[in-house]
Amino acid sequence: MDMPGDQSVAAKAAWPLIWPRKLNQIPKEVFVSPGLFEAELKTIFHGDIWHPVAHAAELPNPGDFKTFSLGRTPLLITRGADGKINVLVNSCTHRGTQVEMCAAGNRKEFECPYHRWAFEISGELIGCPGMSEFSPDFDKSRYGLARLRSAEFLGVVFATMGDNTPALAQWLGEDMIRAMKVILGDGRLKLLGYQKVRYQVNWKAYNDNDGYHAGLLHTAFRLLNWQGGKGAQFMTENGHMSIMAELQPLRNVGFLKDPSLITFKGQDPAKRASVLELFPIGVMVKHLDTINIRFAIAHSHDCTEVHYAYFAHQDDDEEMLRHRTRQASNLLGPCGMISMEDASIFQRIHIGSFSPGVAEFQKGVKDPYALPVDVAQNDETGQLPKWEYYRRLMNFQRAEI
Amino acid sequence: MAVAAHILAAVDHLNLRYIQALDDLSMEGWLNSFSPAADSAYVCISEENDRRGLPLALMLDDCRARLEDRVTFVTKIWAGTFQPYRTRHFVQRLACEAREEGLCQAVSNFSVTLIQEDGTARLLTTGVYQDVISLTEAGAFIKTRRAVYDANVLPQYFVYPI
Ligand code: FES
Ligand SMILES: [Fe+2]
Repeated sequence: MDMPGDQSVAAKAAWPLIWPRKLNQIPKEVFVSPGLFEAELKTIFHGDIWHPVAHAAELPNPGDFKTFSLGRTPLLITRGADGKINVLVNSCTHRGTQVEMCAAGNRKEFECPYHRWAFEISGELIGCPGMSEFSPDFDKSRYGLARLRSAEFLGVVFATMGDNTPALAQWLGEDMIRAMKVILGDGRLKLLGYQKVRYQVNWKAYNDNDGYHAGLLHTAFRLLNWQGGKGAQFMTENGHMSIMAELQPLRNVGFLKDPSLITFKGQDPAKRASVLELFPIGVMVKHLDTINIRFAIAHSHDCTEVHYAYFAHQDDDEEMLRHRTRQASNLLGPCGMISMEDASIFQRIHIGSFSPGVAEFQKGVKDPYALPVDVAQNDETGQLPKWEYYRRLMNFQRAEI
Repeated sequence: MAVAAHILAAVDHLNLRYIQALDDLSMEGWLNSFSPAADSAYVCISEENDRRGLPLALMLDDCRARLEDRVTFVTKIWAGTFQPYRTRHFVQRLACEAREEGLCQAVSNFSVTLIQEDGTARLLTTGVYQDVISLTEAGAFIKTRRAVYDANVLPQYFVYPI
């Protein structure tokens, strides 16, 4: 596994914290430290890791763009005239002005307002006023918008700022590739829309979503008799995890007057629910007929912004499109029937974490000094390999005793 | 077409009942602002989705059954799990036009202030209500309300409709 070297030293210097010897204990300080966040920006968000930043279905036509952020780095993601997707830095190569301000749109070219340098949709510099008076070594071809290395799988666009990030397929691993196929099918999707929200929470708590809480925090899960627990969790040593849940067939116990919210029209009942959490904060979910990619931005140690993007499949008929829209709107987002409580917990974890001691993981722990091997659907141990990866990445030393 | 003063008064009264119910955290009162017809509807959607023609909403209650289910979400399913908050809604009618018999169409601005447990207030969002209103002997009721909110990114999660 690639472990970035020099940045971790910076992390250690910024935060001389000693990690508990037990693998199921996480020091709460890691959720509330502004200094640690700066080190995480370097090592994780700008390091040798892939980050999902868009899906091709968000930019169906040449000239389409969306803006996003990787940590604090502003991105401009575009579909060029050649149909290819470009992940660019949204900063003019002249004096650094933000080039595009809109969340999304379609343009023929980008023009920086400050001195009117113009850029192709794919990022190349077209021209600059007064160029004949520029320095003798000015070479227009070297002043396109900075480009991040990017790769696509099932339409999901991943980007990285690291120089030594492994190939995407290797970074994802077989289990996560399988989970992505369950969630996104063949990846030929159609965008239904967004729910965008900011949570006052550290990104690590946002993405610490365990299998244990589902039937406990979420009353709707209980009402629907969905805590069955026959599914499994899969983890990779580079911090990813997926939950393949096996939900019982739907039993509307009468508390919903409109059961279409929980109707499953898809084909394969084994694929009713899966969650994929890619390190550090990429989340994809399929629940019933809802297909959801959560593009998240770690703004600071105490603010995580999430763009819940929902999709249909390109082959859906009108009825299926409508069904997916109606289900997705009310089921899984920041005010969805079975997920609103998560949002509330995020903020309460953050408030509670300004306190000494550790966050404990217990459900499913067989040996506190070893990483779990088998993790059941309702265990919280699925988070532990991710925490161990994070600890090593940030170079925190474990206590001797 | 000019709208009679008593119709404008009925529409304003409806808007005030609606925001009063929400500020009182009364989901029953909220539900009672809507027409009892099976196709009465409430859609709360971001300005971005609305402008781009993306159908996905934050709350998509496109029939009476879903309005009633929303009351169940807030009062039964989510009870005890969210951080309590109150709101102050402000509403201002911008336009009102008569439609076929017994119906009118109205547009109003709204702004919603969120008040936390300690009394701190901050803006949750602003937006526009686009309504079809049913006028009856018993008063005005919402047939369909589309609440288009301005915040591109909401400053926090929602529990109550706006
Ligand atoms: S900063 Fe962009 S043109 Fe000068
Ligand atoms: Fe949850």
